[in-house]
Amino acid sequence: MTDITQKSTATPAMTMGNTLPWILAAAFLFIAPIIFSSNSAITIMNQMGITMVFALAYNMLLGQGGMLSFGHAVYMGVGGFACVHVMNMTDLFEKMPLPVLPIVGGLVGMLFAIAIGSFSTRKAGTVFAMISLGVGELVAACSVIIVVFFGGEEGVSGDRTYGMPFFGIEFLRQIEVYYLTSFWLLVSALLMFLFSRTPVGRMANAVRDNPERAEFLGYSARWVRFYSFVASGFFCGIAGGLFAINFEILTEENLNLATSGGILLMTFLGGAGFFFGPVLGVVTFVLLQTVLGLQTELWALYVGALFLATVMFFPGGLSGLIMMHVTPMRLGKLNRLYVPYLKVFVPAIIGTLSLCGFIEILFHARHAALGEDEMTIFWTTFSSHAILPWIITIVVAVGGIWLAKQSAPELNEAWHDANTPDGGAR
Amino acid sequence: MSTTSALKLQDLKKNFGKAEIIRGVSLDIGESERHAIIGPNGAGKSTLFNLITGRFPPTSGKVFLHGHDLAGKAPFEINRMGLSRSFQITNIFPKMTVFENVRCALLWAEGYRYSFWNIVNRASHLADATDEILAQINLTERRELPAGVLSYAEQRALEIGITIAGGADVIMLDEPTAGMSHSETDYIVDLIRKVTVGKTLIMVEHDMGVVFGLADRISVLVYGEIIATGKPEEVRANAKVQEAYLGAALEAEH
Repeated sequence: MTDITQKSTATPAMTMGNTLPWILAAAFLFIAPIIFSSNSAITIMNQMGITMVFALAYNMLLGQGGMLSFGHAVYMGVGGFACVHVMNMTDLFEKMPLPVLPIVGGLVGMLFAIAIGSFSTRKAGTVFAMISLGVGELVAACSVIIVVFFGGEEGVSGDRTYGMPFFGIEFLRQIEVYYLTSFWLLVSALLMFLFSRTPVGRMANAVRDNPERAEFLGYSARWVRFYSFVASGFFCGIAGGLFAINFEILTEENLNLATSGGILLMTFLGGAGFFFGPVLGVVTFVLLQTVLGLQTELWALYVGALFLATVMFFPGGLSGLIMMHVTPMRLGKLNRLYVPYLKVFVPAIIGTLSLCGFIEILFHARHAALGEDEMTIFWTTFSSHAILPWIITIVVAVGGIWLAKQSAPELNEAWHDANTPDGGAR
Repeated sequence: MSTTSALKLQDLKKNFGKAEIIRGVSLDIGESERHAIIGPNGAGKSTLFNLITGRFPPTSGKVFLHGHDLAGKAPFEINRMGLSRSFQITNIFPKMTVFENVRCALLWAEGYRYSFWNIVNRASHLADATDEILAQINLTERRELPAGVLSYAEQRALEIGITIAGGADVIMLDEPTAGMSHSETDYIVDLIRKVTVGKTLIMVEHDMGVVFGLADRISVLVYGEIIATGKPEEVRANAKVQEAYLGAALEAEH
């Protein structure tokens, strides 16, 4: 109990603790392109920044409002399409500095969310999920029907450099777009965080946990959901505007279910329960996609397996996994976990990698061109048709996972110990 | 008793399919009265609560709160008119802290509505009001704990805290002491007495000790009908009540 009472008396210091992460984030965003200065790194970081805004906006529904949307790409997409159209209105765009453009996307995304939310937020749960799926499909299908707006199969493209120069910057270079994206990422994230601290944001949590109780406290669960939905639509639109600026083209791909599914996956992977969870999810996902994607054609399989493992074993996602350690840390017992962690995770990781090796060999043996027997994984070159690599990978995989399982009870005990105050009555 | 009653039920009926659960209940509850509704299991006590608070629409009949007809009103609208209720099964926000549970209950009453331009952590008067409620329900020490990890009795106390926080003047408690030990029951009864001073209290309760200790008047509901209403001693002496309910309940207690 003592640590809890201490926390409640420490409220005045909270403001400092609250601003520090934001300052650090801003500093990191500022220096990141200096550390990772290659062109491809900046391209990846731009993509990450845009997806982070989208994922955070998506989590306003999933994590904070308890609404599972399967068609959220459309709010980003519609905002993005609107921005490309603005880019193409030369008379208007000439007088508009580019950094302002995402606001247009935000407003269009918000208007669209008002229209759809007016009926979709009446119920949460399955009804909401199904409506979101239906609307998502509908809009994606519209992309080939309403060609004027969505541009049919080839999409709509524009040129960001036609905008009014912003203090002399014409956004010809990727790095300039990076700072524009980072600025909006920081502003959007801050606004979304503050939204979660407003009365309607707090009630979104309450409605998520127990809509009926919220109704008996004077709040209409439906209106609370509606406001969250509209706010989410706004920030999705901002992400769409940033996408339009970065890629200068939007297509059907920005609206379809694969994109909607992707953002759900990333948000869940990072953990919907904490505000910063989606950010972690996006970083992990994009890194896996780009780094792993260079190594193997099967990257999607591994990401899928990781997602499955997250859902099954760590429903709190990566952020949940990290935050689980706050209690042991506060009790000063984190060090008791090191050895059990090593005992479980070293064999588990080796086993899993070996299993991946096995899958790669299998894939190579089945799919490589005839006569091409040689393959390289883990810096080793061998023939995928030989029997030895098969045996080695299977034995190591089974052995590693078996060893990890043997140590699991010990970890369990250590975990319990680390979470119990010393000299506690229980 | 004052001229307009706090709560008035007029020939209230509720059918679920062919089953008549509430069969014409009329009741007048005055301002600042503590009224208990008792009756055997399945008599329709909780259904009656749900009809009054807008959780279910009645099949026929009317409910008046301070003289205003509640027909067609949603629970949140009824709550805004000054009626608040607790639930038989603990109904809190388990993942939120104790403090936040109570603060959520204060937001509407404090005029915050759906605002997204106020930061609740900055509103010190809101925190003060919340802490005041927490002190009343003796949960100040549990302030930062997630409500879901509280003990059962503490959760029931929190439930009462959430119910009273909005400042409603008609408080409805559905079996506030259900499943509690004797000492816990005494604790909750004291709490109820303390927090409902000057307010109208309507409660469903099984524990006869609680009922006779707290209530100004008692209504006995049997098979969807009120067979007696009156002061505790009158109800206790009523032959029909003894036959239908009290006899069995009193025997069971001894």
